[in-house]
Amino acid sequence: MKSTRVKYIWIPILISIILIPPGFYFVDWSKSGEGAGLYSRDWSPEDIFAYWNPDDFYNSTQIVAGSFDGEACIDCHQGVTPGIVKDWQASSHSKAKEIVYCNDCHGSDHENLHLPTPEVCADCHSVQHDQFEDEKRYGFPGHTLAMERALDAKHFVDKPKAEVTACLQCHSVATKCDSCHTRHKFSAAEARRPEACITCHSGPPHPDDETYFHSAHGQLYLKEGQNWDWSKPLKKGNYPAPTCAYCHMDEGKHQVADKSIWKFGIKQINPLSSGNVIKRNKWIKLCSDCHEADWSAQQLKAMDRERKQAWKKLYQAEAILKDLRSSNALYPDAEHRPPYPGDDSDDLFQREHIGFFEGQASAFYNVSPIERDYFEMWYFANLGAYKGSAHGDNSFVKKGHEAMDKSLEKIKQDAKLLHRSGKSEIDEIITRSIWNTGEYTDFNRENN
Amino acid sequence: MFFPCFKKYILKNNYTFFYFLFLFISLPAHSVNNIPTTESYDNKTCIECHEKDNPGLISDWRDSVHASTKPVTSCISCHGNLHSETGRFSRQNTTCIDCHGGKKSPAVHSYSTSKHGAIMQMEQNSYDWKKPLAGANYRTPGCSYCHMHEGDHNVDRMLRDKSTNQHITNRDQTLVQKVCQDCHSPRYITQLLDNGESMLKIAHMKVNEANTLIKNASKVFTDNELQPAKQIMIKMQQHLKNVYLGVGHQSPDYQWWHGQPALDGDLLRIKGVISELHRGSND
Repeated sequence: MKSTRVKYIWIPILISIILIPPGFYFVDWSKSGEGAGLYSRDWSPEDIFAYWNPDDFYNSTQIVAGSFDGEACIDCHQGVTPGIVKDWQASSHSKAKEIVYCNDCHGSDHENLHLPTPEVCADCHSVQHDQFEDEKRYGFPGHTLAMERALDAKHFVDKPKAEVTACLQCHSVATKCDSCHTRHKFSAAEARRPEACITCHSGPPHPDDETYFHSAHGQLYLKEGQNWDWSKPLKKGNYPAPTCAYCHMDEGKHQVADKSIWKFGIKQINPLSSGNVIKRNKWIKLCSDCHEADWSAQQLKAMDRERKQAWKKLYQAEAILKDLRSSNALYPDAEHRPPYPGDDSDDLFQREHIGFFEGQASAFYNVSPIERDYFEMWYFANLGAYKGSAHGDNSFVKKGHEAMDKSLEKIKQDAKLLHRSGKSEIDEIITRSIWNTGEYTDFNRENN
Repeated sequence: MFFPCFKKYILKNNYTFFYFLFLFISLPAHSVNNIPTTESYDNKTCIECHEKDNPGLISDWRDSVHASTKPVTSCISCHGNLHSETGRFSRQNTTCIDCHGGKKSPAVHSYSTSKHGAIMQMEQNSYDWKKPLAGANYRTPGCSYCHMHEGDHNVDRMLRDKSTNQHITNRDQTLVQKVCQDCHSPRYITQLLDNGESMLKIAHMKVNEANTLIKNASKVFTDNELQPAKQIMIKMQQHLKNVYLGVGHQSPDYQWWHGQPALDGDLLRIKGVISELHRGSND
């Protein structure tokens, strides 16, 4: 009897083994479409994507034929695009012992030029590139995984591509080094300064710029930063106040995620897990460049307390929404509005996605107002408070928590109304004429 | 107090004193057209003189929105009233920022969070602001480099036509091409402009969808009942403007967080208001 049972174990094992190659084949197949990433077959790129993700989309111009090297490129481009030549002339590349010319990064054949990816820069800057690649093991959020995570985001796949071009500009930090070392000067000194980061690290979900500039560190930078010697490495004693890179890329290490504990504030984590304690100690060591270790540890603990408070509020709101979902009181519900982006299973089993683990980060459109309220509470107010906490700007902590309280109160009130009104017989008509059609809604349905 | 010091100065440095005295007296000769540089000017004097000297400059300014603002944005508003310092002040962003809503206004903030603006904040103190606004004389463009390229005093040429909402690319694409091409490749510029147009079209679709809903609802509901939806529409107009600014100034954050997803939120909230009215009226 026993031996026959053991025999059966081989059946699922055998099936799994047989399914592994088709599995790999399926992933490869799904990545082989016109777009890129896991859902590449569901969308086609805009022309401009070539410049944000050259590896996947760039094709050389065919305007000029011939092969050019060194000064020949400079001679011509001095007239065509003088700015980049001036920049290059001011760069270390033009002053190196072995001059780094245009063709060293772009190639010589003018009909087969390429835009330099991090791998091209790695030919000379291998230490930095290795560090950059190594960041992947700390997961997302981070720089190295930014492009693939953007391309695989459900809302990116679903929305018209001209609209989500906005995403790729910042997420190209993974695919080009010039996000921080702007072309064609590629200066290390420039990337050490906070302004190098603000183009992407600003706005409602990540007001890193405002919270830093409001903090004591940022205030000192604004007052004196122009006179600091930015050619110095990001090391203890070299700067009177820390900048973004001083803390997040300490000693110039090309990683931003290696000390990341709270993961951008988008989900709750346990700061006391063994891995996070190690990371926390790294932070304390870093703060100790200027502050007492004990004091720094206290400040970081205060942030943990603030986070705990924030998540208490967020979970309350989440529970209210889940309660509305289980009593079928959300209006419009998933069945009566455009489907959740990029999710085929939703055709069979429609369900509202609530909270981080259900992927609500992609559900900020085509949802009911109360779900959007929660999204804003979580993504704007909460993340603002988190950034304030992490960067030492109490005004943002206060503002964020006040906004969360207000949202929570509104969500409570609106939930009561929704419970009371329940479903109405004209819902079907309203959803058809209001929620499921319209100039943008139709366009979005037909274009990705 | 002052005089003994001065006397000592003359006795000690008699040659230096005479050198400065001579320089001071001859200052007018050093300046263009013998204009004394220490003298201050008013707008009328500027126009009278420059109309003879460079009539195109004045007519360009007259054609621009600056000439019709109240109070008028005159020569001295941007150039100051010292002839020797005119270019140095007027070319810098600080000259424009105060009138354009200050540092936190969307118009200015969308620029300052762009890559151009970020580089400008780091490098503006090291630029030679006396150089003409052309030929990549500045590593990154300030307001004037694009909007008043080569000293063109008609700022409207680089703006969208407000009445037709037609972009400059439809009216005079070569100008944009020319300005951006100081640093960027022609193909990049074309594709970026095309993409910007499509992104704006999409933003307009959201606003149109909301407007249609409000229009249809106004057949059934009173103005008062639709007030909350109209309030959201006011916000929506600002978010639409943010997308314009994000596209124009190349600020990803204004295209996105201050723009498209904000419009998504406005649209679904307007739908929420109107559908609740319908549901309510059916009770």
